This record gives sequence, C-alpha cells and structure tokens, in this order.
Amino acid sequence: MKVPDSAVQISGDTLIIHLVDVPVVDAFTFPPPLPPPPENGISPVTLIPARISFDITYTKSGTPRQIRPASRDPLSPLNWRGEMWDATNSGTFSLAYKDGSFSASGNFSSQGNFGEMGTEHNGVFVDHDEKNASGIVGAASSEAQAGQTNQGPKQTGKTVLLKGHVPVKVVNE
Amino acid sequence: MKSRTLLYVTTVPFFALTVLILLLLFSVPLRAQIEPIANLKVVPIPLPGGDIFPPYGLYNQFFPGPPNQTPPFDPMNADPHGITNFRGVTAMGYTFGAATDNHGTAYGVITDIRVYQGEYVGGEVADANSAGATKSAPSRGTFVEI
Repeated sequence: MKVPDSAVQISGDTLIIHLVDVPVVDAFTFPPPLPPPPENGISPVTLIPARISFDITYTKSGTPRQIRPASRDPLSPLNWRGEMWDATNSGTFSLAYKDGSFSASGNFSSQGNFGEMGTEHNGVFVDHDEKNASGIVGAASSEAQAGQTNQGPKQTGKTVLLKGHVPVKVVNE
Repeated sequence: MKSRTLLYVTTVPFFALTVLILLLLFSVPLRAQIEPIANLKVVPIPLPGGDIFPPYGLYNQFFPGPPNQTPPFDPMNADPHGITNFRGVTAMGYTFGAATDNHGTAYGVITDIRVYQGEYVGGEVADANSAGATKSAPSRGTFVEI
C-alpha cells in the first residue's frame, strides 16, 4: 500500500517507518489457497479485516554491494541495478481484528537473518540510467536504438550546457 | 498487484501449534493518508518476474537470501522490490520475534516487511471514455509491503 512519505524517516544509516492502524486482512495460509469447495461451510480464503500498527528501524552496515544487471530477461531476478548494504531491522507491532475478537502485540528482530537496504533501479530505469551514464542523451527506447543500426552510422552525442561567462569577440569597425 | 503480509506466527514450546499469517490482499481506506494501490491515479506495476508457488502460481516477488538454505532462497542479488520501473530506496529483512494475544497465548512471529520510497513509472488511465486502458505515467511515493 502507499503510505505518506512522512511515515518513513531516512537518516544516515537508518530508515525508520512508523505506521498506525493500517488496514490489512488476516488469512490463515500463505500464499492464500486456490478456492476449493468450502469445508464445514468455511471458505479457506476467508479474509478477516484487521488493523496493524508498527515501528521498525532498518540499519545498514558494512560496505555496499554494487548490483549490475546480470540478465536482461524481464522476468529474471537479476535484471536490476543497485547499491545495497546488509541491514538489520527490529520493531514492535500491535494488531487487532476489526470486530475486536482478536488482538496481539509483540516485537521482532532480523538479527542473524538476511536483510538489505539501499538504492535500486529496476524496469525502465535500468536502461534509462545506463544510457545517461554512457552519455547518450534522450530516452530513446531499446527498439529505437536497434532501429538506428540500419540507418547509417550510429550517432551519439552529449548536450553541452554552457555555464558561466561566455567570451564574446568584439570587432571594432 | 499482489500485496502481502508475511507476518505470521508459529509455535512456541508450551503452547499448541498455532499459525497466524496476516496477508494483505485488499486495503480499505480507513485513513485518508494510507492509500490502497488500486485507488492510486498512477498505479505501480508489479514486478514482471517473481517466484512460482504451485498451485498458487506466479507471486510477483523474489525472496533474496544466502545460498544453501532449507528451504532455499532466491539468489542473494535477486531484486528485493515488488514494483517495477522504480528508482529509489529499498529496505527489507526477514525477522523472528514473539507476540502475545488478548487471551495470553504466546506466539512466535516471522515477518518480511519491505519499504520502498522513490519515483516510478506506473500506469494511468489513458482515456476516460475507454474501459480503462493505460498509458505510462511518472509518479513518486512511499510503499510498504506488510
């Protein structure tokens, strides 16, 4: 779900998220089963409205892994770019069914388990940022790039922005 | 887009086996500032890949982790994001913990809560007079998968 930007505070090596009364649903299996005939009149995909509140702090450490796209298959898990640090997280939570029949609270920590945090680019931003890095200006699609190969020499160029004072030659006649 | 809650509760030694999985599939806008994905003007696009769980099918999410684990994770450098066409900050991690319910029953808790903040290219309605056909549109936001 989309949450307010203000729910997340990023500072230095930490990311803190604070959310209150987020509407969720409770299911009893994960992933939810495909719906076979209900047994005992109870659908196995019954979803119970609930609300959850939590505070979590993610903390990165060590040196980052530089992730480069290792595949261009759009379905591949390795088709993205990023800079990721190992990260731990810990937090507290409380939840309650909307009908008040169940509630619980607790805490958790990722100590000893995998976690990561960093910046990433995926989808269209992988190509977009690669082209920018190589100095190709414009957001031409890969199809357009491929099309250029049959249209004479490939032209790439940089847009040069002039800044500061530009010398002007004055001719006195 | 399949959102999900992976906050689930497993057994502890002195209590009966109980498993609680909170699964976020639908959201009701109880608070104006929390917006269900389906109601956004520019709807984020789910990652095209993901893990396949028969008979559930394709789950648009990878589960990165270290090698040689049982059950196995996806490769450590697998994309941790649930949204494609995204550029920004990502945080995730698998946790264990403890909880107590309103009857005093104790549980073990496992979570996988992911946070994304940044810009994205999603889909918006191209023509209000159509059935809802999309066009690409830029936007930005903060998302959480619970």
